[in-house]
Amino acid sequence: MSTISLTRRQGLALGAASLFALGSKGVNAQGQAELTFWSVRLNTPELQAALLPLLDQFMAENPGIKITNEPVSGEQVYPKFIAAVQGQQMPDIAEAYSYHPLQFAALDQMETMDDIIAEWEQEGRLADIVNEFAYRKFFWQDHYWGVPYNLDPRAIYYRKDLLEATGLTPPTNWDELQAAAIAMHDPANGVAGIGFPAGDFHITQHFYMGFMFQAGGSILNKDGQLVFGTEAKDANVQALTYLTDFATKLKVTPDGIAAWNTDDAHTAFVQGRLAMGMGTGRVVGQIMRENPDLFDKVGILETLQGPKAKLTAGFYNPMFIWKFSPNIDAAKTFVRWFVSPGRLAPIYAANPGQHWPIFKSEFDTEFNRSNPLLMEMLTKVIPYTTDFAYPGTGIPEMGVIDGEKMFAAPVNEVVVGAKTPEQAVVDAHKRMEEVFLGG
Amino acid sequence: MLQRQRARLAYYLVLPAMTLVVVLNLLPLLQGLVISMQSQNLIRPNPTGFVGFRHYVRALTQDVDFWSSAWHSVYFTACAVAGAYVLSLGLALLLNLDIKGRGLFRALFLIPWVVPDVVTALLWKWFYSDQWGFANFALVKLGLVGAAIPWLSDPKMAMPAVIIVQIWKLYPIMTVVLLAALQSVPKELIEAAKIDGAGPFQRFWYVTANFLRPTSMVIVLLACIWTFQSFDIIYLLTGGGPANATQTLPILVYVKAFWASQLGYASAIGVLILLILMVLGFLNLGLERALSRGRDAHV
Repeated sequence: MSTISLTRRQGLALGAASLFALGSKGVNAQGQAELTFWSVRLNTPELQAALLPLLDQFMAENPGIKITNEPVSGEQVYPKFIAAVQGQQMPDIAEAYSYHPLQFAALDQMETMDDIIAEWEQEGRLADIVNEFAYRKFFWQDHYWGVPYNLDPRAIYYRKDLLEATGLTPPTNWDELQAAAIAMHDPANGVAGIGFPAGDFHITQHFYMGFMFQAGGSILNKDGQLVFGTEAKDANVQALTYLTDFATKLKVTPDGIAAWNTDDAHTAFVQGRLAMGMGTGRVVGQIMRENPDLFDKVGILETLQGPKAKLTAGFYNPMFIWKFSPNIDAAKTFVRWFVSPGRLAPIYAANPGQHWPIFKSEFDTEFNRSNPLLMEMLTKVIPYTTDFAYPGTGIPEMGVIDGEKMFAAPVNEVVVGAKTPEQAVVDAHKRMEEVFLGG
Repeated sequence: MLQRQRARLAYYLVLPAMTLVVVLNLLPLLQGLVISMQSQNLIRPNPTGFVGFRHYVRALTQDVDFWSSAWHSVYFTACAVAGAYVLSLGLALLLNLDIKGRGLFRALFLIPWVVPDVVTALLWKWFYSDQWGFANFALVKLGLVGAAIPWLSDPKMAMPAVIIVQIWKLYPIMTVVLLAALQSVPKELIEAAKIDGAGPFQRFWYVTANFLRPTSMVIVLLACIWTFQSFDIIYLLTGGGPANATQTLPILVYVKAFWASQLGYASAIGVLILLILMVLGFLNLGLERALSRGRDAHV
């Protein structure tokens, strides 16, 4: 049996080294790399219940890394992150809204994710992502600043029983949607033809964005230049007119939609007050929990063929890493692990429909096959989802345009009769221009 | 000598409190002032670059949102405080009467004050809902209106609707304070006025109101400050909409700071809010002094 003897000097040196290791930033007393992980999109109780065992599993498989999750409320996202940037107390890893990585990259706070994207490309996983804009929107100044990890789609739900009673088939284009909304509008029985959030909230612009893309419009062009009220103005006005006509001209929506946020539209549909309702994927789980009798009577419309395109809005949420994290390698290890195939199945199951995989190869699961609404979402909506940056790559200014709800305002203003669609688009464009000019 | 020692001791005694005031109040205020003169546009390089009064000029001369938000703030504050004052004065006068269950009523009237703002906003949002709100349900059932009123989705109705909520939130504390002031009115004076033949209105106007005035000035000033800087109730009820009809200055600050990443500009608006409130405070103080002088001269 051999023994190791140390001189006093060696002992002191070892002691000092140990103290240094213990005191090193980002390493705990057990020598583990410590990571903080802020989650913005996974912060409800059911999603947290699905997330935390995943983190335990990661730590069991990677004993050298300790990860601590902190859920962040959606309303607190910007105050919390901005305070963290100012105080240089950013989390090592975060998952949040679409434009966060670019905004923080503009502040020189983000680690590039080029290596992970390159790996995905080599492994063929990049080609497996539903839509190239899922990752292109994180590309700015020759680098990827985030990687997508899940998808949050927008869809139009409809009441199959009410539609059948009219003798119409499920709408597939703008004219048919309008005809169906008129035909199913039945205020005497407390059912409006269609409902969508038109309040001064972020969700409002998500639905406008879908119609905008369908009309051939956009906010930016493929070079990242603002075209909302210039080259794309006609298409954007056309989309705005079409969407708001449901409320102002056809009067087939509930009167109060100009104050509606996401949950108002969801609840109205789930309570049976809407024949058709625009909502997030979360509606599927909400119907299952709150009004299961409605489940078999509900369908999801095929993404509409607009005048120019068949597209809808979907948000590919990112994960990103703080540039000054003392444990960047460990953080990337976690991101690779977290976004690996099949990993997030418990999260998808926690609230059916709310979160979706970004990889096509993950769609064919028993969980999806066993749920008709999920299958409809999968076949009729998800393949047509695209994101803000369409048809280009991302820019930090888009985060401000989205954050300030600059293209929700036109919907709200037209629905309440404060502006014409054209005026609303022109005014919104002016506000967007100011973002590009600075200030 | 002894007096000087006493004075020194007094300074030592207030030192901890002053230190706290400096650290917790003045330093953040100074930092806010500094940030308001820096670029602090978080999507632009060099956020700490000095820009002088550029943000102030932008707010006062270029940003239409600033002036419309300022007007909304003034309108919201004036209506909510006036409404709450009238309501609370009436309630305080009633609760000052020797009625059965007075203690219970006083406790019940305090409920809105203890409800957190977020809960208040959500309760009223449901109450106002055009789909399932009790307000519309009751009005329609009673035949007072033919169809649901779009309380929060009509730009003309939204501001009155949020003002009602703010009145609901304010009146309890105003009632308590006014009631305390009412109870300090000497009964002998009221009796003397009665003997002199003063009617109820004259007794209120010439005796009670004089005693209420200083308290009223203070509570109105405080209510104005609370209301002017109120954020969460309006934000949760309307988000500042519809069509910006309820966007007040605090909401504009929030939007500019945290959604538009323009911390410098938002700080400048914050400083302007502070200046507006200081002017309001000085006006209140001046008015109180003028009224006191008038009262003294009258006496």
